[in-house]
Amino acid sequence: MHDARDAEDTRLLEAGEITRLIESYYGVILDRCHLKLRGGGDAVDVAHEVVLRLLSELKRGRRYRVPFRVVVHKVIDWKAKEHFTRGKVQEVELDEWLALASTESTGELDLDDPFESWIAPLTELEQTVLRLHYLDDLDFQEIGRRLGKKPNAVHQIHFRALAKLRKGPA
Amino acid sequence: MSEPTVETLFDEFATRYLRGEQPDVRDYLVRAGAESEDLARMLDRFLHAAPAREPTEEEVVLLQARLEQEPPLLLLRRRRKLTRAAVVDALVGLLGLDAAKSGKVRRYYSDLEVGVLDPRPVDGRVWEALGSVLQANVRAVAALRPEPPAPSALAYMREPTGLQAKLSMAEAAPAAQADEAPDEIDRLFTAGP
Repeated sequence: MHDARDAEDTRLLEAGEITRLIESYYGVILDRCHLKLRGGGDAVDVAHEVVLRLLSELKRGRRYRVPFRVVVHKVIDWKAKEHFTRGKVQEVELDEWLALASTESTGELDLDDPFESWIAPLTELEQTVLRLHYLDDLDFQEIGRRLGKKPNAVHQIHFRALAKLRKGPA
Repeated sequence: MSEPTVETLFDEFATRYLRGEQPDVRDYLVRAGAESEDLARMLDRFLHAAPAREPTEEEVVLLQARLEQEPPLLLLRRRRKLTRAAVVDALVGLLGLDAAKSGKVRRYYSDLEVGVLDPRPVDGRVWEALGSVLQANVRAVAALRPEPPAPSALAYMREPTGLQAKLSMAEAAPAAQADEAPDEIDRLFTAGP
């Protein structure tokens, strides 16, 4: 799902095209900041904080042993959290994570797949339907054909799964 | 007609997003109404996991404007490789204004471009005309007016900002002269949408 994107990120990093790399993530940075701040006007400011932190990291030559997108999302999560706590969060926690994720570190880094951890509370069948629909971009008819179920049944499983996720933990 | 559920809105957004469209999360939060908290949480998890979409041109302009401390509308015009005079001439023609008053249009446009003219009261016809000249959602771009540079931003500027100088120049040459009676041009740029 992310292979092509990760390869392009690596190419941009190796070519030193840092601004182009950050620019390519700016859409999702803005989207997630708007969501985290629930559409509030400060979202653009928080997004800018994310950009400045990423630029600061890359301009001093830091590179990562995890895909760059993982770093981007980590910094988004952190900066949004910092916004809500009005800067009372210990910045050292993000610094430590980024240092641990850098190529210079050999320490153990816990990483989970955000999609898999999100759908983990669902049944195996519900997880399969969501993977096929959102990761493999299959419609309900095709999913039904693969799973031996009618499209209507797949549709119901899909919406039941989303309803469970909606009620799930934040 | 019944309100769309959070599940329906999520699926619609995710499907469009994966199709390569750029659905606006803010529109979806508005549509979710009282359920927007639930939808925001779900979409945030989804966007964390999905491949990042390409930014829109308006977003790229916003990013550059923020980093370079330049007015977004000015950046957009430069991206189009247009002179200010060319934009003003096009505006005069598209809005059907008296060519003899193009100097006044130029002053208003200059103020708008450098962010000293409040874009909110600017008439929709001006945005429409500018949009066709600059080929972008100009109203959205102009709304992103520059802010004073933060110390942390200064380190990333390619060169010292000329924004302060531009603002000073614009303030020194107000578009509407005090001794002139308001006309169509004043109304277009200051009277409201």
